[in-house]
Amino acid sequence: MSPAQHSAALRSFEEQWLARAPGARADALSDLRERALQRFLQLGLPSAHDESWRYTSLRPLASQSFTDAPRAAAERFEQSLALEQSRRLLGDRPAAEAQATTLVLVNGYPLLPLAPGRTAGLEIHTLSALGRENPDLLVRHLQPLSDAEELRWLLLNTALGVDGVHIRINSAQATPLLILHVGTAERPGAVAYPRVIVEAAPGVAATVLEHHIQHGAESPLSNSATLLALERDARLEHYRVFTTGERAVHFDTLQVRLERDAECRQFTVAVGGGLVRASLDARLNEPGAKLDSRALLVGHADRHVDCVNVVRHAAARTVSRQTARAIASGTSRVIFNSKVVVDAGASQSDSQQSCRGLLLSPSAEIDSRPQLEIHTDEVKCAHGATTGRLDPNMLFYMLSRGLDRQTAQSLLVYAFLADVLTGMSQSAARGAIESELIRQLPDSQTLQEFR
Amino acid sequence: MLLNISDLSARVAGKEILKGVNLKVNAGEVHAIMGPNGSGKSTLAQVLAGREDYQVTGGSVTFEGADLLAMPAEERARAGLFLGFQYPVEIPGVNNVYLLKAALNAKRKAAGEPEVDAYDFLSLVKQKMKLMQMSETFLTRGVNEGFSGGEKKRNEVLQMLILEPKLAILDETDSGLDIDALKVVAMGVNSLRDPKRAVVLVTHYQRLLDYITPDHVHVLSDGRILKSGDRSLALELERRGYDWVRENRVA
Repeated sequence: MSPAQHSAALRSFEEQWLARAPGARADALSDLRERALQRFLQLGLPSAHDESWRYTSLRPLASQSFTDAPRAAAERFEQSLALEQSRRLLGDRPAAEAQATTLVLVNGYPLLPLAPGRTAGLEIHTLSALGRENPDLLVRHLQPLSDAEELRWLLLNTALGVDGVHIRINSAQATPLLILHVGTAERPGAVAYPRVIVEAAPGVAATVLEHHIQHGAESPLSNSATLLALERDARLEHYRVFTTGERAVHFDTLQVRLERDAECRQFTVAVGGGLVRASLDARLNEPGAKLDSRALLVGHADRHVDCVNVVRHAAARTVSRQTARAIASGTSRVIFNSKVVVDAGASQSDSQQSCRGLLLSPSAEIDSRPQLEIHTDEVKCAHGATTGRLDPNMLFYMLSRGLDRQTAQSLLVYAFLADVLTGMSQSAARGAIESELIRQLPDSQTLQEFR
Repeated sequence: MLLNISDLSARVAGKEILKGVNLKVNAGEVHAIMGPNGSGKSTLAQVLAGREDYQVTGGSVTFEGADLLAMPAEERARAGLFLGFQYPVEIPGVNNVYLLKAALNAKRKAAGEPEVDAYDFLSLVKQKMKLMQMSETFLTRGVNEGFSGGEKKRNEVLQMLILEPKLAILDETDSGLDIDALKVVAMGVNSLRDPKRAVVLVTHYQRLLDYITPDHVHVLSDGRILKSGDRSLALELERRGYDWVRENRVA
């Protein structure tokens, strides 16, 4: 297909590519990027014909042109803001410690120096540095390219991603690591490609939080991608939290790769953003691997939250749990698509998918679709999805005790979310997430007291 | 007069359940409403508490002279009416004590009183829990979450003791209780007896009345109160069964 036949969006992505072509030097990395771009252009933007995009139309986006989000913004960003966020999410701690464990990416560009004041057991590099020093390692993490419709935006990130961070966790970390994704733009039409790669060495235990925030009135379209690669027996608790403004657009892809007996507990929290598409692509590659993924998806006003999980059991005795709590008010729409694939040979796999939706307005919509694809016998796969309104019996019970209607409703909404929140082991992060959730519910003052 | 029900009729899911109930309750009295299954006892209790999906089709109810039916459920509660549920609702994620505190503060606010002091509140709750022989683990659990049938009923009476209503309507609070639990529940209710308060016990069996002596006993059948009397009526019902009242009426 020639560029002339592409939509305005595709043409603008291709122009971005041409503007940053690496000149004469053709290495493994640039070859991979080129293939990723060509593949993306060939496939085009996902449309309603693509199964996992049925509920999220990109038509308004296709007619827009996009330019690279400015790098200069990274230089203007104030470290003190990062520190403030870090304390909010991870609790008050000495500035030196907070700085050492807070990484800031502004429009995808790492803010330097990365984590000043080295933390023992952590190796942190920018992807641009890694690409120069160890391109093979970077290529290995960016491959293989996938045609899967859920991963369409990942192709584009691979092609156009300018920078990001690579973190290798070599020993157990008592302090969580915060990656702060800041989106900032002066005008609409910018696009950023943040990329994060986390490797957890055998046997380590750690917590990584990714928080997507917006600085200023505009934020770029954020096409972000994160890879969590857990080696044998590694334990990782990972959070991705979206609290951007009501016009922000996110296409976030999270890849999880689990080796033998590795365990990942993952929380996805969408309480902000105008359009959030959060994909999870998890592979339980070796026996004993375990994934526990939990999502809190909150739709307000006319927001659109689309969460799509694909969890592949590729080895025997692997365990996955997917839990989602979706709330939709106003004219918002929340989608939870989850799929479990059990490969041939992945016997004694055990998977559960559960989604509960709560509709708070007659014009809101929640779509939830658990799917199963099983290629072996001897597996345990359970799934369930329910969506409803607030339970009138619970509501009446509280009213009959004298609580006013709004308080009773807010309490029930909060209670609905509680079982995902209580699974969070980071109490400060949990508190900050609760505050953010509560802030967006009616009668937030009473609820603050309730905590 | 505390409560005056006059010719009350009500419909549930399109079906007429109450067909002209008349009942007067004065402060200081304990009434028992007895009747066979399906006679409308629970419907009466729920209608009085303000359940919205139960449609009142006729009659009137006043509470301390005010039009009770015009008040939403939460206002009735704040005015001093309490319903002990036959099936207390489980609300996972909402803390049991928080609900109690919010309920008490809602009532105090309506009466123009300041919020209860957190320390005073906790000692009050602990004292009443002791009376109800409840373990303090109930403080931290969700509302009725995972409670046994008996624990739920004790929790209802605990709420009543904290809220100190002017009128408590206890809907089959005795059902599903063993004899020890029944005694505890009865003790809780008796501790609330007061010249300024009234209690309406809705019950199928008379055994609760061995522990809480009613001033008046009424038999509700097919949506109407067929017979009223004193404590001896309950004993007679126990002996002769509900059919006796129905036949008696026809005769």
